[in-house]
Parts: sequence; C-alpha cells; structure tokens
Amino acid sequence: MSLDLAQVVAQIEGMVASLKAMEGERQAKLDFALQTLHSPATEFNQLRRKIESSKTTWLVAGLRESIDLCQPVLPCPEDFIVLASDGSHIDVDRHHAAHCFLINIGIAQLWYGRNPDARFSSLPFLYFRDDEVAVSSPDGRREVIEGQLLGIKRSVEECRLLAERAGELEAGLPAVALLDGSLILWGLAGQTYLDFVIHELLVGGFLKYLDLLRGLSRNRQLAIASYISFPRSTDVVNALRLAICPHQPVDCDHYCSGKFEGRECDAVAGLLDRDLFSQLLAPGERSAIFSSGSSVVKKYYGIHKVNFFYIKLDGEIARVEIPLWVAEDKKLVELIHSAILDQCRRGFGYPVALSESHEKAVVTGADREQFWRLVEQTLAEDRMWLESSAKRQSKRTRWI
Amino acid sequence: MDLGTKVAEVIEASSAELMAQCYKLDQAPPLGSLVKTKGGSWETYAVVYNVETHSLEPGRRVVARGEEMGTEAEIFRANPQLAKLLSTDFRALVVGHCQGNGLYHYLPPKPAPIYSFVYVCQLEEVKAFTQSLDFLSLLADARLPISVDEVIAACLRYASRAYPDSQAFLIKAGKELAWLLSSDARRLNSVLKRLRQ
Repeated sequence: MSLDLAQVVAQIEGMVASLKAMEGERQAKLDFALQTLHSPATEFNQLRRKIESSKTTWLVAGLRESIDLCQPVLPCPEDFIVLASDGSHIDVDRHHAAHCFLINIGIAQLWYGRNPDARFSSLPFLYFRDDEVAVSSPDGRREVIEGQLLGIKRSVEECRLLAERAGELEAGLPAVALLDGSLILWGLAGQTYLDFVIHELLVGGFLKYLDLLRGLSRNRQLAIASYISFPRSTDVVNALRLAICPHQPVDCDHYCSGKFEGRECDAVAGLLDRDLFSQLLAPGERSAIFSSGSSVVKKYYGIHKVNFFYIKLDGEIARVEIPLWVAEDKKLVELIHSAILDQCRRGFGYPVALSESHEKAVVTGADREQFWRLVEQTLAEDRMWLESSAKRQSKRTRWI
Repeated sequence: MDLGTKVAEVIEASSAELMAQCYKLDQAPPLGSLVKTKGGSWETYAVVYNVETHSLEPGRRVVARGEEMGTEAEIFRANPQLAKLLSTDFRALVVGHCQGNGLYHYLPPKPAPIYSFVYVCQLEEVKAFTQSLDFLSLLADARLPISVDEVIAACLRYASRAYPDSQAFLIKAGKELAWLLSSDARRLNSVLKRLRQ
C-alpha cells in the first residue's frame, strides 16, 4: 500500500487545532507590530541609523523611505509594453546514458493601449557539451551543473532572454520587464559554491544581463522587476525587531547570545512581512521601498543592489524586487507599481505576462518522459552505445 | 468575408472529412459553405458542417471577463493575449474533388494533406460545383454530431446565392432531395422547410 490517507487525516486535524490555538497569540503580536510601526521608535532617520549600525543574525531591510509609507498607485501610461520570461528545466538524470539537461524559456510580450497585441515564444536549449554541463575555473576545477545549480543557471537564462527581447522592442513605448521569483540568486549565498562558480553565473551571467537592461533603460523608459507571490520574507519585521530592541547599538551576539526567548524583540517574532502589510496597505497601495541586507547582494550586486516593496492586491500581498537603479528613478517605480497592479487585475490576481510566460515554459511530466524517450531513440538510431541503469528500468516497469 | 481568400489550414484529415484551424478568431466560413483545399494533383471540395471556438490549450478554461466592460471588443483590447490563446476551428465534410479538368462529386483518392491551406470557394466556383447535385447523397448519408438536415439546408441556401435565380436552384435541389429521401417523408419535409430563405 502507498500513502494511507486515513492515517493522515487525524494528523491534519491535530495540525489545524494547533494553528487555531496560535492565532490569538499571532494577532496580539500583529497589533503590537502595527503600534510600533507608527511609534517614535520607527522615526525614519533614527531607525535607519539603528539598522545601519546593527549587528544581527537575521536579514534586516534597509530603509529608503519611512517604514509605514503607503503609496497610492498612479494610472498606467496610455500605451505600454509588458515583457516577461519564465523557465522550466529537465535535470540531468544519472540513470540515463546521455549526460545532458534542458532549459525551456517561455517569453510573453504584451502591448496595451491603442495597438494591443501579444507575442509568445517557447525556447528550449539542450546542454550537453563538456563546457556547457559544468562551470570550470582556469585552474581546472569543475562544478557540474545539476540540481540547485541548474536552477540558478535557469534564472540566468531567464534574465538573458528577457534582456535580449527587451533589446528587440521597438523604441518609444514605456516597458516593464518581469521575472518570476527573486532577483537575489539565493543559491549562491553562503559557502556552498566557490568563487569561480559565483563569478561565472552571477557576475558574468545574471548581473551582466541586468547591465544590458540598464543600458537599454538609458534610451527608453524600461523598468525591470521580479515578482514574488505570497512571500514568506521577514526583512521588515526584522527591522521592527531592531526598533524594539533596547540596546544601542544593536548587537545580538553581545547582548542576547544564547537567548532564544524572552528578548524584547520576540514580541514580533513569527510574523511575516506580508502579515504586516496586509493590515497597513489599502488595495492597490505599495509599501515603502526597502533595500535587501543579503550578503550576496552586498558583495556582488553593486548598482543592481536589490531593493523591494510590497504591494496590496485584491487577494494577497506580493513582493516586488527591483535593482537600485530602478529604485532611484521615481518614474520607473511609478511605472512598475501601476503596471504590476494592472497586470494582476487583468490576470485575476497574478501578472498576466508572467502567467503566460510560465505557460510557454512549463515542462510537464509527460514532456520529460517524451524527451528521454526521444534521446534514447535518437541514440539507438545512430547505433550509439546505449546503457541505462537497472533502477530506472525498475521504476518504469512496476511489477508485483 | 472575402471569398477566395485563404482562411484556414487543415489540422486533421480523413477520406470523408477535414478539420481546419482558422487564421483569425471567429473568422470561420459559414455553416454550409463550400471550401476547397489543394493536395497533390487534385483539389478537395468540402462543406462546412461545424464551427467551434475554444481554448488552444487543453486544461485552460475560458472564463468570463466582461462584467465591467461596455463591449465585447473591449475584452480583447484589454487582454491582447486572448486572440493568441483561443482558436476557431471548423469541420467540413468532403463532397467531391477536381482533378485535371474533371469535377467529381465523390471522394478523392486520398485525404487532404495536413497543413494544406483552406480557401472559401468563390461564388462562380460554387455555381460550377453545384451544377450537379450528386454530392447531396454524400451529405444525406453522413453521420454527424449535429443534424445532417441542418447542414444540407444550409449548404443549399448558401449555394443558391451563386445563382441569379436562386429560387429555381432551390426547386431543382428540392426535387433531388425528394428522390434521395423518398423513403422518409418526415425528414424530406423537415429539410424542405429549412430551404426557405
């Protein structure tokens, strides 16, 4: 027998009861957080200095605007373009004879206004050469691209195609280029990968394509943003923790080392940024713009340093990430704010362009099966040596 | 519709019928109209019997969007992607073919090739094809998911426009039907009623 759902039901009921019991405590924390937001402790200059001088163990949002700002949306331009890219991939399968992976990028281009139009494309890329399936350093070290690293490679390709398509747009109309997910390549943070990997994929890849987009934005009104639906981030709540903290300068290791409860800042622990902004913002409004405190951003992103704001849609709070050069341009921020809200309203809660680019990118389970069958078939037709693992055969033919 | 222009492409074909995808949404030839497609050394003639507009991708349902809009056209202006995600297809029953100088009112030797272009026949061509009404037996005997009698009547009404004296054409067609459906007076009566313009 596989999963016994009858046994799971009782456990689900237990989970729901526990969540319900915690709801009262969560609401009290949220009320306190909202009071703090409007208190003198969050005065802009004071809190900004406190954040900048702090030493914390969490990711804290940097302030660019007052933390409780609620910015209403301006109307969209009469004519504008929304461009989006999304990707999907087929990972390396070590049970197959051919060592290869596939990245499929979906692009959606939508023209709004007096000459409405739409163009979609689906662009599959197969990687199989030695220099394509691994990142290599000049001294001969190699990191094979698969799993998490393939996810990062895919993000780079999404950005590359987005920049290429943006470069092909006819001049004139304001344009918003959207990516799905974060602008921060989180997989490259920490100690997981060596410098040469980060250099090739981030500096020589993702950031290079953001450079291209920035170059294009000098000749036309072009903004780039990434969109995160139902975000779980806590950067702003963590800024509130600092506002609450009685120590100056804040230094978690010094004052609270080894303490995991009973700290003043625990009064808002467990809240998410979206909990805060769902109470603070009116529909259509955006929050203040914050800057990311991520170490990978600080070390590598430079002018593309990731900034973000939250936006209240009809059904949820979304997080929108933008590079610093966009955040510094009031017109571009206004364009992104209005275009994303408009996209979500046209798309029943999610940006139409991202939704359509996803539809073009998606690789289904059936596509994967067919892809590998095609690889095997082509190898066999060319009388190539064909070998695959017994484990794979066993999974394909289930017997009793 | 500009008669004689290319309107669609064959995406499914059998000896007896073809299915074509229109290049433009909602721009299918009318029910009962005569279309043709070229394949090899012959041209296949077919009568449109069903038109359908649907989502191009299985699993993606079309949803209502116009509650706050004044016109249907506004929906397409506000959502330019729709025209690329929907498709109008039609099915047509093969009723004859043309090879060399000969016009034959029976099935061609092979189905229309996939991706062959589909043209709406011009009125002169409709007139030439309907000089003989032998093709009516192919229509009358067909098993279709919609009423065959509706298709026969729509086809004859459409063809009658090609004649200066459309009434005379319909009377001639009525006589042909009386012979074809002689064993089923109720059905004959039903078709004849539908021939009234």
